[in-house]
Amino acid sequence: MTDPSVAPAHRPRPSVPDLLVALGVLLLGGLLLAGTLQIPFGISAVVGPRAFPLIVSAGTLLLGLALLVSALQGHRAEPAVEEDTDPTQPADLRPAALILGGFLLGAALLQPLGFVLGTALMYTSVGYAYGERRLFLLTGVALAVALITYLAFTRGLGLSLPAGLLNGVL
Amino acid sequence: MEALSSLLTGFETALTPLNLLWALVGVTLGTLVGVLPGIGPALTVALLLPVTAKLPPVSAFIMFAGIYYGGMFGGSTTSILLNTPGESSSIITALEGNKMARKGRAAAALATAAIGSFVAGTIGTVLLTFAAPAIAEVAVQIPPSAKFALMLLAFVTISATFGGSPLRGLVSLFFGLAIGLVGTDLQSGQARFTLGVPELLDGIDFVTVVIGLFAVGETLYVASRLRQGGANVIKLAGNARMNREDWRRSWKPWLRGTALGFPFGAVPAGGAEIPTFLSYTLERKLSNHPEEFGKGAIEGVAGPEAANNASAAGVLVPLLTLGLPTSATAAMLLAAFQGYGLQPGPLLFVTNGDLVWGLIASLYIGNVMLLALNLPLAPVWARLLLIPRPFLYAAILVFSTVGVYSLNNSVFDLYLLALFGLIGYGMRRFDFPVTPAIIGVILGPAAESQFRTAVQASSGDFTVFLRQPLSAFLLVAVLAALVVPQVLKWRARRRKA
Repeated sequence: MTDPSVAPAHRPRPSVPDLLVALGVLLLGGLLLAGTLQIPFGISAVVGPRAFPLIVSAGTLLLGLALLVSALQGHRAEPAVEEDTDPTQPADLRPAALILGGFLLGAALLQPLGFVLGTALMYTSVGYAYGERRLFLLTGVALAVALITYLAFTRGLGLSLPAGLLNGVL
Repeated sequence: MEALSSLLTGFETALTPLNLLWALVGVTLGTLVGVLPGIGPALTVALLLPVTAKLPPVSAFIMFAGIYYGGMFGGSTTSILLNTPGESSSIITALEGNKMARKGRAAAALATAAIGSFVAGTIGTVLLTFAAPAIAEVAVQIPPSAKFALMLLAFVTISATFGGSPLRGLVSLFFGLAIGLVGTDLQSGQARFTLGVPELLDGIDFVTVVIGLFAVGETLYVASRLRQGGANVIKLAGNARMNREDWRRSWKPWLRGTALGFPFGAVPAGGAEIPTFLSYTLERKLSNHPEEFGKGAIEGVAGPEAANNASAAGVLVPLLTLGLPTSATAAMLLAAFQGYGLQPGPLLFVTNGDLVWGLIASLYIGNVMLLALNLPLAPVWARLLLIPRPFLYAAILVFSTVGVYSLNNSVFDLYLLALFGLIGYGMRRFDFPVTPAIIGVILGPAAESQFRTAVQASSGDFTVFLRQPLSAFLLVAVLAALVVPQVLKWRARRRKA
């Protein structure tokens, strides 16, 4: 809960990531406005489908502007502190990229290979990214968790999940 | 007393063996996810929504209520034994409780937190029992313009209290509002912001947004800054218990914390953060041992924990009587009601009295169960903190995938989930609170509908919000909520200079 507004008079130079975030919010506001203008006017409605989106787009643009001003003044965002994070260490984006890649690959393969193999792939990539190097153990647990989840949801709760390669086996 | 007889019928519903079982499942799950890092009650309800679609609504809500209260109990275990708060409302518990634990008084800290939560939760539920029907009776007469103003007030106070910066909270809120706009407009039948993608015509399911921002975002963020060498968990020998002296020092802070927490939760000014801080300050002033504060004073755990739980009970008042959620978990409960075709609000007490009173009765039962689960079983919950993080976070991601995929059996939803995960990562990295976005997604469509109904009823006259007295009063409150904190900050800065 640091309050950036009571920082000393010597402000640090604007940080590039914070400026990019502010520009991103402005861009979102602009896109929303463009999207709003494409909504056809409703028929016979006093307040059409455009009114509320217009308010939201205008608000987003204003907030983006305020964020830009604050970033230019040198305010920078403090990264959140979570239960398992270490705020004193520099951030390493590689594990996060590995998780995202594993997730997207698993999602793409969910239907051809089946739910069990797709989610086992996701599980393995997260486990590896979090530093687990006993690969046999990790893939074993991944397959077990994926299989138990699959069976619990399909047999127990009656949801339908893609069986894929294991169709007929399960 | 009408409330009492309704409550008795509620107990008849909640005390059936099957519903007792659901309550037990709920409080156990709630404590579990409260203890575990990376997953909380709001996320758990979101994950369970597709699964519970086949349960009767009463049973589902009894379970959700258990998760809601259980998350509070479990959260305090984590902050006491691990010294890193999962939610902003447990900062104080982490501060004072962890100091106690380091002095070898973990059992007493856990006990005063659990018993304090029980006392506050029970008193809070009693207040809810009598306040809610009375407020519902008045709330029936609120016109659409004032309902919109009320939602506006909730939006602004939630954005301004969660996290440090009101500006960042508002950006998060508007992001949520924008997501809520995507899809077919129900009043005019026009497609909005669908980018020509047919999957978006039905809108973006809030479950995808919630799981993406909370679970996937958290998994990505923690991975990028993982604490090396494992968590520093304090060992706990034996049950959570306290001695006579601890009792003597705890009971007044429990009651004072409850008195502070409940109103803050019940007014749509949201957030358990402020009352916990207030309670801490108050207890330090009133204590005979002010020198112990900051070094592990039991009053500094008892008061804020009670405030936290009482405000959780208070949050249910605007949720049930006005359909106004003021926390992420309350927003999930609102969405669950809507999933069953029910609209929380004043009429719910008339149309679905059985359901509401069964839910309220189950809160009393859940509190007793939680006390029984948390005192003797404290060492079991503590051991959960030792689960190796690679396996824990991997499982969270797999459950998230099942939860989102089973909504529509669509891989497109999983890509959306990844997108919201990335955004959730960015929000943590750049200090945007997640809760306002969740409230925006869930309450946004309702706010738009009230807005349009109000303007249409006055045949296109937008000044209706200023002419209706209650609505005008609420708009002044909205303005005050935005301006007053800034003025106070400005004055504090001038005094320092």
